[in-house]
Amino acid sequence: MTEVATYYDPALEQAMPAPRRRRGAGFWVYLGVATSLAVVFVLPIVWAVLRSFQPARLSSLAPQSADFTHMTVQNYRAVSHGQYDILPNLLNSVIVGLGTVILTTVVATLAGYGLAKFRFRGSGVVFGVILLALMIPFQAVLTPLYLELSDLHLTNNLIGLILVYSTFNLPFGVFVMRNSFQQVPQELVESARVDGAGVMFTLMKVMRPLILPGLATCAMYAFLYAWTELLQALTFVQSPEKLTLPAKLYEVTTSTYGSINNAYLSAGVVIAMVPCLVLYFALQRYYVQGMMSGAVKG
Amino acid sequence: VGTVADKPRLALRARRGGPARPTRGAQSRRASRTGALLVSPAVVLVVAFVLFPLGYAVYISLTNWPLLGPYHFVGLANYKQLVHDSGFKHSVIFTLEYTAIVTPPIFIVGYGLAALLRANRFGAKVFRTIFFLPFVVGLSTVSFIFEIELQPNSGGVDFLLSKLGIVSDTHTWTVNETSALIAISVIVVWFASGLTMLILTGGMQGIPSELYEAADVDGASWWTKEWRITLPMLRRSIALALIISVIGSFLAFNQFYILAQNNVGLETVVEWIYQTAFTRFQVGYATAMAICLVVVIALITMAQFWLLRDDTEL
Repeated sequence: MTEVATYYDPALEQAMPAPRRRRGAGFWVYLGVATSLAVVFVLPIVWAVLRSFQPARLSSLAPQSADFTHMTVQNYRAVSHGQYDILPNLLNSVIVGLGTVILTTVVATLAGYGLAKFRFRGSGVVFGVILLALMIPFQAVLTPLYLELSDLHLTNNLIGLILVYSTFNLPFGVFVMRNSFQQVPQELVESARVDGAGVMFTLMKVMRPLILPGLATCAMYAFLYAWTELLQALTFVQSPEKLTLPAKLYEVTTSTYGSINNAYLSAGVVIAMVPCLVLYFALQRYYVQGMMSGAVKG
Repeated sequence: VGTVADKPRLALRARRGGPARPTRGAQSRRASRTGALLVSPAVVLVVAFVLFPLGYAVYISLTNWPLLGPYHFVGLANYKQLVHDSGFKHSVIFTLEYTAIVTPPIFIVGYGLAALLRANRFGAKVFRTIFFLPFVVGLSTVSFIFEIELQPNSGGVDFLLSKLGIVSDTHTWTVNETSALIAISVIVVWFASGLTMLILTGGMQGIPSELYEAADVDGASWWTKEWRITLPMLRRSIALALIISVIGSFLAFNQFYILAQNNVGLETVVEWIYQTAFTRFQVGYATAMAICLVVVIALITMAQFWLLRDDTEL
């Protein structure tokens, strides 16, 4: 499927700077339209951040709900200890997120390497199986997965979530990694072998710098998937102390904490957003590239 | 790569009597074994958590499996029941309606954003980053944000709309079916159009600028250029963007589950399957629904392959 996807190449964009135009009326119209749209796209996110620093009593009162002059960190203090503590859930999400990243990248890298650089019987079948997995949304196998995990004693278990999240990230990951390895010149692999380097040595030392962008794409998608997933998190985990952050926040919306609901939720939302935004700004190039090269699933 | 430090190891191997340069057959046999070994973890995971559950699902769908307790084989009874299940049918029709409502605006807004930034004018990169921001935050988190902001009186949506003079009184957005659907659709367009923009941007950058220059020479209008050059050249990117958006909408869960919690009229197929299995405990029946879902998704995916096929006449 990656063969058919188009590539968005930021380097290309840099290589071909827009010709210097006269900044006529058209330019200012463009800038005005784009800036207004940018406000629309960014406002709810900025608003959510401001909201989280609002005193709890203000955020549920109509006339003052847009009053951002009395900023406080009391909402963050409230969700970090005591009855409404979400820190254990945050820790669960970190464990699941990192676990998913490690398992997905390791397994996808090995498979991408195997598919791109080794000819073996059945490689076509393997590729077909992974293609097939790409077409099956997890939503469609939710019930058998639940029964299977339950038989394996992996429900209510973060390892179960890591295994499932990694598996559903694998098809995309394998595609990205196979593409990365295909771009490594065969001569490099050959010369490493002639010099007596083993398979793993070649992978770790010789090819690593060349596959890093693919690896970053793969890792980032795995993390963001694991970090924001809700349906499987609700299905496979039941006990409150094992819930991931989105599942915990869902619990907050359904529970009867009363008017302070908003305050807890607003702080929780920002905590959930920060890692996504940090990753996006830090690794934006890989994010966009990955989206273009392997965006095959909604 | 071939550093001096590596040479002695090679010499050592030759002295030990091992084949310093294996024959072609042995080499390819070893490569074959290594390749199979490298892909095996991926294959194990995919078989264990995708293919096995898929086969298992077919079996479960032919039983009256409750969540706990004994079950027996019921043949195609679940599927027969499905045809007459008004609740399920409602969720299917509603999901199709929702998909039909959000797909065109997501595409049009995404196309507009891509076209606006196509010339890579001043700030285009920054704007592109910002337009994609909602997608990065994730649909669950976005839904939680609007869970707060859609509340009557205290929510930011009512505040802004009344300041802008669009609404005069407060709205209980998520309680009324129509207004909840409008609110969720607007949120989803805001959330997803950045993705469409990126996919189309990728396609637009692949269109040779000579085509536009030639059209300019011929005095073609903006519309003519979009219609005659951009759209035909973008066929595959457009198909990809539409299919991703259609599958995403068809599998909608988060936004409705979070924002329309008490609104039974707004239950999507995935939500219905989830509720049937885990709150009504009819696992067998829910799985039959899931099998129908797999079939629909498979059909959409096949359409994707067909639309995205390489054809030489273009």
